[in-house]
Amino acid sequence: MNPKLLLNLALGILAAIGGFVDIGDLVFNTAAGATFGYQLMWVIPIGVLGIIVYSEMCGRVAAVSKKAVFDAVRERVGFKAGLGALVASEVVNLMTLAAELGGVAISLQLLSGLPYRVLLVFAIVGLALVLWIVKLEWMERIFGYGGLCMLVFAVAAVKLGPNWAQFGKGLIPHISQNNPWLYLYFAIGLLGAAMTPYEVYFYSSGGVEDRWTPKDLGLNRANAIVGYSLGGLLSLALMIVGAAVFLRHGINPEHLGTIALGAEQPLGKIGLLFAIVGILFAVGGASIDTVFSGAYNLAQFLGWEWGRYRNAAGAPRFFLTWIVLLVCALGIVMTGVDPVMLTEYAVIFSAVALPLTYIPILLVANDRDYMGANTNGPLANTLGMIYLVLIMVIAIAAVPLMIITNVGQN
Amino acid sequence: MARTHLGHNILDHQLLDKDGRRCGNVDDLAIEDAEVVAIYSGPGYWPQRAGRLGRLAGWIGGSGRVRVPWEEVTKVDSAVHLRRTAPEYGLGKGDDRLRPFVERIPGANR
Repeated sequence: MNPKLLLNLALGILAAIGGFVDIGDLVFNTAAGATFGYQLMWVIPIGVLGIIVYSEMCGRVAAVSKKAVFDAVRERVGFKAGLGALVASEVVNLMTLAAELGGVAISLQLLSGLPYRVLLVFAIVGLALVLWIVKLEWMERIFGYGGLCMLVFAVAAVKLGPNWAQFGKGLIPHISQNNPWLYLYFAIGLLGAAMTPYEVYFYSSGGVEDRWTPKDLGLNRANAIVGYSLGGLLSLALMIVGAAVFLRHGINPEHLGTIALGAEQPLGKIGLLFAIVGILFAVGGASIDTVFSGAYNLAQFLGWEWGRYRNAAGAPRFFLTWIVLLVCALGIVMTGVDPVMLTEYAVIFSAVALPLTYIPILLVANDRDYMGANTNGPLANTLGMIYLVLIMVIAIAAVPLMIITNVGQN
Repeated sequence: MARTHLGHNILDHQLLDKDGRRCGNVDDLAIEDAEVVAIYSGPGYWPQRAGRLGRLAGWIGGSGRVRVPWEEVTKVDSAVHLRRTAPEYGLGKGDDRLRPFVERIPGANR
């Protein structure tokens, strides 16, 4: 393998680790650990494998057919159902974006002590400037590497000396006898957070923009498998910290700042600082992914010119869409809605929208006319079908469980 | 490409002009004697595709309609490729109208 390719691969993987964890993962993994200890560990690998399977498929479709997700959605399910899928995904995306932006402002507040709403405006203007000035390649790297500060949670998890026997037990799928509805609610939240649809929108559109060809399929596979697996380890670490710090002391981490304290307890002030900076970059990077995803989806569905490699004058409607989305998200968080609460709703509703995203991808990836020799093989199809069934079950169960558990409050 | 048959999957595909510019989607087809004679593109065709939601979307989109004769299609792969530039058909108007405003922002042409 030539050194340049190896370097690109390493950079891509690093960015993927830093980029995997967003506010949904932070909230659900820590809360699951704080409520059920190690009992929900087994859900994380299932979620990670799911996102690997579908990201790889999306990346392959992008490389071979030059189609991003919402191109495929419209083409495969038609205008009417596709329009429904578009509206649902845009609503969920906007909620997620608002939550991530709230997270950015909270992190900045923890670092500076300035008022939350002032920081919200500062965060939005700052992000708009970054989106305008910085090349996407560098954006991904800056936020991906900054997000690597989150590895402090892995160090904290090891330092806390987790109970390995319980950890091992937690990796075996089971249902808790103690409050099973809440347990299932968290299981669905963890899966929803790991398989958030915006990740595949962004990933596939990025593949089309980077002009991937079938030659890049190895890079695609390596990025998806290694990046998401390592990102999944961070999720495990967050759950361990949740169990070892918060469950032990009977704390419910309802604030992002509380989650950062999980790193302070074993590692002191420096741990806290790394945690806050890591969270800042992770949610900042996720804001960029979600705002672009919203613009990608709309532009792809309607056939507009899109892409950040086209300058703003080359793709005016795309540019205007992400500006409007940022302003709408600002309006939502300025009302004072709690970003953690908003995250929970966003993750649960995104679980409902999952099938609309993944079914068309599976269909295109099986279309020999487009995909030729790179059509789904038996492994991708078996896993794809298993996850499709799982996603359908999640989509049906998500809202009832949210109601039964009063959004995880009981 | 003078002839095509209905089995060919073109509905809801991306339209690309001769410079590779994305300039709309195939929103509907004109069919005569089981043969596609023209492509319809624009928000004005959405109501007939998606009922109430389509009417609302079409109204928001400005109800524009463009007819492109099938003779203008040079290639169909994962997109439908056209012989000339988008403005010659009246396609991609939304982007063209906004461009003068966007271009005033420093850095818009980088």
